[in-house]
Amino acid sequence: MSRLALRVLGAVFVLWAVVTLTFFGTQAIPGDPAEAVLGGPGSRSTAAQLAQIRAQYGFDRPLWVRYLDELRHLAQGDLGVSYALKTPVTTLVGQTIGATLTLAGLSLVVAWAVAVVVAVAATRESRIGAALASLLEITAVAVPHFWLGSMLILVFSVGLGWLPPISTPGVAGLVLPVLSLALPLAGFLGQLMRESFLAALDAPFTLSARARGESETRVRLVHALRHAALPAISLSGWAFGSLISGAVVVEALFARPGLGRTLLSAVLAGDAPVITGVVLVVATVYLVLTVVTEAADRLADPRLRSASGQRAGAPAW
Amino acid sequence: MNRHRYAVCALLLGSLTLSACGGTAADAGDQPRQGGTLVYATGDDEPTCLDPQKGGNVAQALLGTQHLQTLFYQNSSGEILPWLATSWKQAADGLSWTIEIRENVKFSDGTALDADAVKANLDRIASPQTLSNTGRLALAKVASVEVTGPHTVRVDLKQPDGALLESLAQVWLPIESPTAFARGLDTNCLHPVGTGPYMVESWTKQDSVTLVRNPFFTTPPPDVAHTGPAYLDKIVWRFVPDGTSRFAALQSGQVHVIDVVEPQNAVAAKGNPTLRTLIAPRPGEPVELELNTGRAPFDDIRVRQAFFASIDVAGALRSVYLGTVPQSTSLLSSATRFNVPAPRHAYDPAAAAALLDQAGWAGRDADGYRVRDGKRLSVVLPYSRFIPLENGFYEQLQATAKKTGFEVKLQPLETAKWWIANNTWAYDAIPVYYTKNSPDVLRITYTTAALAESTPGSYHANTVHLKSADLDRLLEEASQTSDDARRGSLYQQAQELLGAGSYTLPIYDQQTRLAHQTKVRGLRLQPSLAMPDLYDVWIA
Repeated sequence: MSRLALRVLGAVFVLWAVVTLTFFGTQAIPGDPAEAVLGGPGSRSTAAQLAQIRAQYGFDRPLWVRYLDELRHLAQGDLGVSYALKTPVTTLVGQTIGATLTLAGLSLVVAWAVAVVVAVAATRESRIGAALASLLEITAVAVPHFWLGSMLILVFSVGLGWLPPISTPGVAGLVLPVLSLALPLAGFLGQLMRESFLAALDAPFTLSARARGESETRVRLVHALRHAALPAISLSGWAFGSLISGAVVVEALFARPGLGRTLLSAVLAGDAPVITGVVLVVATVYLVLTVVTEAADRLADPRLRSASGQRAGAPAW
Repeated sequence: MNRHRYAVCALLLGSLTLSACGGTAADAGDQPRQGGTLVYATGDDEPTCLDPQKGGNVAQALLGTQHLQTLFYQNSSGEILPWLATSWKQAADGLSWTIEIRENVKFSDGTALDADAVKANLDRIASPQTLSNTGRLALAKVASVEVTGPHTVRVDLKQPDGALLESLAQVWLPIESPTAFARGLDTNCLHPVGTGPYMVESWTKQDSVTLVRNPFFTTPPPDVAHTGPAYLDKIVWRFVPDGTSRFAALQSGQVHVIDVVEPQNAVAAKGNPTLRTLIAPRPGEPVELELNTGRAPFDDIRVRQAFFASIDVAGALRSVYLGTVPQSTSLLSSATRFNVPAPRHAYDPAAAAALLDQAGWAGRDADGYRVRDGKRLSVVLPYSRFIPLENGFYEQLQATAKKTGFEVKLQPLETAKWWIANNTWAYDAIPVYYTKNSPDVLRITYTTAALAESTPGSYHANTVHLKSADLDRLLEEASQTSDDARRGSLYQQAQELLGAGSYTLPIYDQQTRLAHQTKVRGLRLQPSLAMPDLYDVWIA
């Protein structure tokens, strides 16, 4: 009971902090919010038009009044209306969140699949193989989404003509965006898993499993992999967050609708309600995922299921 | 034959050649084919409102040209032709225009076009509630619009306005269905209703706008290849912000037409037999560098002349744009009526050095920059990505100006910050451009009124900070006369006066840059704003 209450309290605190940071962050955006309403910077609005909008939207009130007003509205679940599009933010988010969650979710799955294959295939016997895997992982991690995406388009769309360069409904349009997001993450997860996988193969529990006569496949897939996956599972919540930030770039590159593109155009237009709305929704998704990864951690690691609860070093929130 | 024609069009880049380009489809010998869906990928912004009466920018004009029409039509020589208006007459005192409206025309919702509809539109553009920027400014001299017959309106003016008909030939002042206005501003933004060959079917935000053929269409532009309904069933207008993906989509056949073609892609398209480019200048003022004469060092004409002479414009354009854009030679774009070629800009470091010596900037400091009274010769130059000039151009400008001893402080700014720098005069040199289909753009951007109107920190169009009574008189008179010979002479004098002052360095004409697949036939640009027009288009 008290544990659940703490959790909820923690979540509320995180959301409050996110809203507060975003509110003051959007205040620091150069330019007049009244101009954002009137068509963005350079709308060539007259001083009278600007004054009218300032009064109408309450931009002329003191900062703290607007801050408290913002908190009150958000607490009631009211995300407000876009300055530029005059559409409710919930509608805008609702139209695009599915596309981004699909993109990020599939990317996470693909990244995991690639990372697991690389980790399980790793052996101590082939030094060249290990060095090669390590090189590929480091390259994948270091490559920016934008560059990787452009290269994938050049090879698979322009060169081979297999896949569309700008997204279409259906699976074909998803392949390149998902790969652009998944490969760098796969490199990161692969590095993490391969090292602990190799460590696990030398650990006493592996030795005793082998002594019990278990097959090499079973030793690798059940005992070692489970051990190796732990840090990667713990970091998957964080990874999902990074995928959403990568989506800002990938969605623009592949002309895919999504939260990332919504956020990007809102920042350029100084559209504060949309910025706050998107950031708040992403923070909520992140919170939910942290709970899920923690539960997954417990499933994979019997040590966590003991009465004491938290494993040292596991992220609380 | 076909390819040669296009090559000639691309080389000349003149608006006069555009009608010739549009005619190539008919020369091809094969018959236009009815039907099909064309996919157009735009690199311009996604509009926040599809009705160009609200706001009024290029993104809205690109799409609006497909489904909206205007009272007047401006052809490639700048002449005004009838369109939704059939005739017009100016009163002797120049203070009112009587305009006859075409009969038997219906909007795509079935509403009839009549004098009441025209009045409703002009009143709506002028009304502050509509939040029109471009259209409202264009109607600044209009006092009222009176309905004097079922298909006749009279536009009463506060002052004579020689640019009124040109203004009413811009898609930012379209005639839309008054029935549709009753649905409210926001609904009209999603689904404006006009008389064009296509009509808006749906808008999927961040993805595309779908247009379909308008069954009520009866008003083709006066200079097109065919009459009757449009050939295409449907247009999917996709928003593809990234230039690489946009061109890849064209190369792989996923889309038929793209705009905002990047220089390297324009070169690649020329070498590809399945692709063609259609690049043409837009009217108004070219992409140019304007100097702030309101403060030192550019309050001194010798320093202004020295600065311009220290910039290798031709060299920078060649290396940054790979020879795909010609250098502009006039203060009005080559697509604007009454433009007068200025003396060709010359990169001349020796002349620049001599001018600086005369102006007292004779010394040099340790870094090689010119100094006067212990002060370095610095030029603050804020720029932003929305101004169509590549970063490489600024860097080359900075490098060549340094040789003469100018320290150019480049300030890459995001859009909002750039406007703040502009509004607060926090610049010495600033890149600007202005799209308008009339030489009256000079009055909007160089007269004292464009300076005095501004309140501190708010927008001013007179970026040069120019106060010239002679120029004001010339441009004011030019704006009030409708006699072409008189207008031509006044605009020539105005451009010569501006040229002599060395306030502005024209760089290149802002352009509509299209690339399309060879099988797309009949693609043309509507001359008034050089916007693509898909009415004649069919897919072979």
